[in-house]
Amino acid sequence: MNQPINQHPASFRDPSGFVYEHEGKVYRFVSTLYKEHYDKFQQSGLADELRKKQLLLPFTEVADNHTGKTDWYKTLEPQQLQFISYAWEWSFEQLKDAALATLSLCNYALQKGMILKDATPSNIQLVDGKCKLIDTLSFETYTEGQPWIAYRQFCECFLNPLLVTHYTGVDIHRLELAYPDGMPAAVASTLLPFKTKLKPIIYLHVHLQAKISGKQRSAQKQTSRKISKKNIEQILESLRSCIVSLSLPEQKTTWNNYYTETILSNEYLSEKKALVSSLLQELNYTSVLDLGANEGEFSLLCKPDAKVIATDFDSSCINNLYKKIRQEKRTNISPLVIDLTYPSPSMGWMNEERKAFFSRTKVDVCLALALIHHLAIAKNISFEQLAAFFASVCNTLIIEFVPKDDPKVKELLTWREDIFEGYNVEEFEKVFQEKFSLLNKIESVYTKRILFVYQKK
Amino acid sequence: MMQLLYLDPGSGSYLIQVIIAAVLGVIFYFKSGWNWIKSFFVKTPPKTEEEKNESTD
Repeated sequence: MNQPINQHPASFRDPSGFVYEHEGKVYRFVSTLYKEHYDKFQQSGLADELRKKQLLLPFTEVADNHTGKTDWYKTLEPQQLQFISYAWEWSFEQLKDAALATLSLCNYALQKGMILKDATPSNIQLVDGKCKLIDTLSFETYTEGQPWIAYRQFCECFLNPLLVTHYTGVDIHRLELAYPDGMPAAVASTLLPFKTKLKPIIYLHVHLQAKISGKQRSAQKQTSRKISKKNIEQILESLRSCIVSLSLPEQKTTWNNYYTETILSNEYLSEKKALVSSLLQELNYTSVLDLGANEGEFSLLCKPDAKVIATDFDSSCINNLYKKIRQEKRTNISPLVIDLTYPSPSMGWMNEERKAFFSRTKVDVCLALALIHHLAIAKNISFEQLAAFFASVCNTLIIEFVPKDDPKVKELLTWREDIFEGYNVEEFEKVFQEKFSLLNKIESVYTKRILFVYQKK
Repeated sequence: MMQLLYLDPGSGSYLIQVIIAAVLGVIFYFKSGWNWIKSFFVKTPPKTEEEKNESTD
């Protein structure tokens, strides 16, 4: 009992409890400090309601106190999550859904005499196709007259980045990475165009807030006016209606419509889909990492019971894929914006709170289709580095080799000197066979591209 | 209760919420008045299936 517990490095801010690992499972410790709120959360029916609405990660109470701590009140065993992602990897629509889920959570809580005390994307995860709250201890008893304590946090973490992206087109994941704790109103106010000052809701939540928060706290007028429950409901509704109307501005990037508009023919795409699909059927796997997934054409071919992490560095493609999986209810796919040459770093206190992308990602199968030329030629990454990289993330690798005389590679080489003498299929095979054994090799009928299936040695 | 206020209470931006609440109160007041007048002239469209589901589940 007295063995040191493995407390999660991101779970230290809230004294109500913390998350820890015990015998390979994640648990949540609830302190006696949180007793009143926890009891109300259960007895008011809020916990059940949120679970039914699919807004809360399901959990069960466990009778054991693994921690040996004296202020133990409850141990909760949440539904175990295979993979955690962060807001700086999400698409616009995913952050928007997380924002709307947060507002709904607060609204349901208010109806049961409680309120949401934290409003941050790190408490929300996409689980079984729904944005769910994973921090069970985010509610506290609501006292009439009190403001919404998480209001500013909500604006900084959700509203401000969503607005800035909607009005300027700046990638939302970059804003989240630049402001992991939320974008201050003053920053959003400077970045937003003037016309937003004429929109009353945006003026109130962003521009006015920027003005007020810029003043010294002592200079802020003390007000005796109470904020009623109705007022909070109106604030929540105004935030909701504002966020619902936001969308990612249409942008023509190099990568959206890559497969539909490029010189690569339809025959090539259907041939590749059929090939990858049959290759995947032959394999035994529970997890897949699709690198350079574009709009997820190949992620969608994976078994529906396998966890698929589909990544691309083009936020517009990932946003389209997110919309597609939301519509088609492909709940096994997590579309994330990842730049392979700058994957998300480890961040937070002691660099331990938020883990780096590839330390969270170990999979059975990795798909690297129409990708290698971008890394090898556009980014000057050697075959040796690539082979070592793939061997570190997966057991089975399905990789497409794109030769130098492919129109796409020619395009890459148009404006630069060809310093890639070793970029040929013989060299590729030689290097990859040091780390992998070849399972299959299929040449395309319509292009000169070759599909390789490798098993890690 | 007090121990739970580990967040800076200023994070709630009390003043801004008071102002927003007041302004929204006025907007909602006029909106409902306007909707009341409008209801005499405009037939409200029937709810879509989705809206019906939302209000019942």
